[in-house]
Amino acid sequence: MKLRIKSAPHCNREELRTLLIDAADELAGGNSCLLEAKLPWDGHPILLADAEGHPVLVSFDLADSQAALVSGLHATDQLAVALPWVNQVYAPLQQRQKAPRLVVVSSEPPPGSEAVLRTGSGAGLTMFSCRVLSVNGDMGILLEPLDGAPAARAAVTTLAHATQPPVPEVTPPASRAAESVPSLSDEERAYFQQL
Amino acid sequence: MTSQLNPAWQRRAVSSDHLAKISARFLSDGPRPEQTTDGCQVIPFLLDHPDQHWIASELCEVLTQRGQRSLLCELQENSDGASLEDVEGALLRQEADKRFCLLPASSPATIQACRFDHVVLLVPASLDAALLAYQRIKLLSQQAAPDIGIVMVGPRDQHAAWRYFRKLAVGTLRFLDIPLLNLGFLPQEVMPEHNPADHHRQNYLTRISERLLRSEFYCRCRPGTTTQARLAR
Repeated sequence: MKLRIKSAPHCNREELRTLLIDAADELAGGNSCLLEAKLPWDGHPILLADAEGHPVLVSFDLADSQAALVSGLHATDQLAVALPWVNQVYAPLQQRQKAPRLVVVSSEPPPGSEAVLRTGSGAGLTMFSCRVLSVNGDMGILLEPLDGAPAARAAVTTLAHATQPPVPEVTPPASRAAESVPSLSDEERAYFQQL
Repeated sequence: MTSQLNPAWQRRAVSSDHLAKISARFLSDGPRPEQTTDGCQVIPFLLDHPDQHWIASELCEVLTQRGQRSLLCELQENSDGASLEDVEGALLRQEADKRFCLLPASSPATIQACRFDHVVLLVPASLDAALLAYQRIKLLSQQAAPDIGIVMVGPRDQHAAWRYFRKLAVGTLRFLDIPLLNLGFLPQEVMPEHNPADHHRQNYLTRISERLLRSEFYCRCRPGTTTQARLAR
């Protein structure tokens, strides 16, 4: 079977939202689930829950990466404030009130993102560059993490043919922090949240 | 009236011998080494990242200038740290007429493999680094926990150094029942990236070396061996 891949001429915001929801596992990790497809806040981000029960906000804007980042940060603030009732509303969060994570998706890295990721200030922040592609006439997206990890960690399309190769496993980059350290209890983690 | 202590200061558990254990660390006339090595005494350093190697190197020079002939032991570590055989081999290659051998390691696995009874952690002054240091201490405590000394690296001033040390020390005491020894700090202004030839750096390193010597903060037994006192902890 021949694959004809080319850049998609146009993808509106709601089509992109659908594609990102389909790619939730790549954005928030395996076994994530959708809580809200369109939050009524700035930028109308997507709300997911990852396998560990963290709420994950996905803020996206292909044309304006700065807007995606800023509205995502704003929504993260709003979510942090609303966390007690958000935890009551969404069962997958298991009432554990874990800190929200922010995922920003845009075609280009937002200004200043390299410095934020390098200095570690964005511990709960993940960024992906996104390209909309047309594969054999179907629309799909290519997501690449912007954290220095090997490129093309996840390639996602809407194609659902049986011949489609599986999405590669996500492999975190090796780092000092990846050394085998014991896990922390919630109490320990909370203690080191602030000085 | 019930006590309203901040939870951060509440101990995880009460143990009757704990006060004695802590106070012994502050007494200059503490117990003598139970089992010394034939050659030099090893002072292991657990680096937060390899760029901190210069601290062990310059401390080695300071100790030598103070009449304590010291050498820096270069260790090749892989992703799993260095094995006990690697460390022993590196120590054997050193000259025998030295008093101290400073051994910088980047991996906690190296410290665990050698079962050092003392280790100096170099901890950058940030909350993330304090958390990583805590996790490393927790890892080390899974074996017989070594005596742990802390050098805060890069705080703005003494007050900031104390705040980060206190955060870490209260955490390890509360959750792990492990007291930490404050060995001093190296402020941001004396870091090589800020000031490559800062003469104040020597003063701060001298203070750290004094605390190392006064508190006899060096290994009491050969790598890979364990004293009875340590096992009893």
